[in-house]
Amino acid sequence: MFDLDTYAYTNRWIKIHPLEKFVFALATMLVCLISPSVVVVWAVLLLMTVASTKGAGTPVWHFLRFMMIPFSFILTGVLTIAFSVSHDPGGFLFGFTFGSITVGASQANLMKAGFILFKSLGAVSCLYFLSLTTPVLEVISVLRKLKLPSLFLELMGLVYRFIFVLMDTTALIRMSQSSRLGYASAKNTFRSLSQLISSLFVRSFHRAGELAIALTARNYTGEIRTLEKEYPVSKRNYAVILGIELGLLLLNFT
Amino acid sequence: MAEFILEAEAVEYSYPDGTQALRKIDMAVTKGQKVAILGSNGAGKSTLFLHLNGILRPAGGKIRYKGRDVLYTAAGLRELRTKVGIVFQDPDSQLFSASVWQEISFGPLNLGLEKREVKERVLKAMAETEIEDLADKPTHMLSFGQKKRVAIADILAMTPKVIIFDEPTAWLDPRHAREFMQLLDRLAATGRTIIISTHDVDVAYAWADNILIMNHGQVVASGVPTEVFRHTDQIKAADLALPWLVEMHGELMRRGWLKPDAPLPRSKEDLFIQQHIVSGIR
Ligand SMILES: Nc1ncnc2c1ncn2[C@@H]1O[C@H](COP(=O)(O)OP(=O)(O)OP(=O)(O)O)[C@@H](O)[C@H]1O
Ligand SMILES: [Mg+2]
Repeated sequence: MFDLDTYAYTNRWIKIHPLEKFVFALATMLVCLISPSVVVVWAVLLLMTVASTKGAGTPVWHFLRFMMIPFSFILTGVLTIAFSVSHDPGGFLFGFTFGSITVGASQANLMKAGFILFKSLGAVSCLYFLSLTTPVLEVISVLRKLKLPSLFLELMGLVYRFIFVLMDTTALIRMSQSSRLGYASAKNTFRSLSQLISSLFVRSFHRAGELAIALTARNYTGEIRTLEKEYPVSKRNYAVILGIELGLLLLNFT
Repeated sequence: MAEFILEAEAVEYSYPDGTQALRKIDMAVTKGQKVAILGSNGAGKSTLFLHLNGILRPAGGKIRYKGRDVLYTAAGLRELRTKVGIVFQDPDSQLFSASVWQEISFGPLNLGLEKREVKERVLKAMAETEIEDLADKPTHMLSFGQKKRVAIADILAMTPKVIIFDEPTAWLDPRHAREFMQLLDRLAATGRTIIISTHDVDVAYAWADNILIMNHGQVVASGVPTEVFRHTDQIKAADLALPWLVEMHGELMRRGWLKPDAPLPRSKEDLFIQQHIVSGIR
């Protein structure tokens, strides 16, 4: 997850308007989800892989590793579609018979499972593209343009910022516990972990109080307003996106 | 008479749990001065600072800005916080945004300025703290010293007349602490009034125009650096050490290695010059 965050700030497409990347990712995802042809789904997978690696500069190997994370979840999900239970072993390509019942996979079900597997991966690759090219705050600023409630967006921003502060705190506490043999045995581990969690709670409260004071000192009155970075809007990029999506849709008819 | 920009008069404050943090604090800060507040842990420095920016309201006594009592109304506090800014000790508690650019723009936007003006101020504040190259970096990828600079830019962008720094050199290594004090000197040179709190007597002695020594919620001594450290008893009672220059001067004097009327040196170089004069090398 934290590698993802690093790529979001260091990729080659950082200077491109976040709305353009957002539109590209979501439109492609939509096309992927509504297309009945598996060719389109493969094309989306290929497109997003190339865009994230050749385009934005994520190493291919890392991109594939990221894709493997949801892969196992999706695989277990589609297995239940591929396999079914029946009294008649005739319709299955292969199967296991237990007494009078057979658990097996028919060709139609296998095709369906494979299609859903690729479709899910395609959709996921679109989201990875967005996460790898666009920092969280820029995604939030796009959502703000889409008129999502500002309270919700302020919270997202604060949570994102303080995840890292809390992580640092956790690392420090853990280190100081380990240095006193806090994790040397199962019993110690259990006790140290409970203390770690409770002191994180206390510190978070403390931080929240300090943050409120620091914001008030800068004339905070209930709404966090900040200047958002400006990006050049490229008509050309929108034309390219439109072309790609139309092309993908047309692939359905081949 | 010099013009006082910020004053505290008999300020008292107790925290809700009953801790008496301030007991009749008097202080007067002259416009354009560099002031250091010295005191050991728990002396009440941070609590005093929160009063100077209107976060806390004194239970007794008064805070004055430019000779006028602070009004504890929305407009009055807004005015005070525009003129008096605080840079907090821990930048991780002050920086709320993951983007340096958004972070610095928060204060000036709260002043109700135009976007264009805000942008100019953010750029200027970043130039003054030398962090232009951090504009596109997320806050969580900065070093501690860099975060500290962003925290200062936060306040500079609001263009306050008085800037308060709570323990500015805590957790900085010697080189960065020195650079930091130079940054404070540059800020002071532009006519701003600077107040810092510190435990470091040497830093305070060498840097400040005026020093206040606090202990248990009271001001026990105040004055120019070369005067205030003559109150050796109060210094010891406040759990502080003497600056090494003062100690050295006293020792050399006792041994007769300095002229009896040699003034307290403000820097290493001053002391060497006095030595040279006595030893007749020059
Ligand atoms: N939120 C609080 N609630 C209760 N007591 C507090 C609170 N904050 C500070 N105090 C107490 O008030 C006194 C003064 O604290 P303050 O933080 O002002 O000291 P300080 O001079 O800034 O110390 P340090 O050098 O450690 O930062 C201390 O006794 C402290 O325990
Ligand atoms: Mg303090």
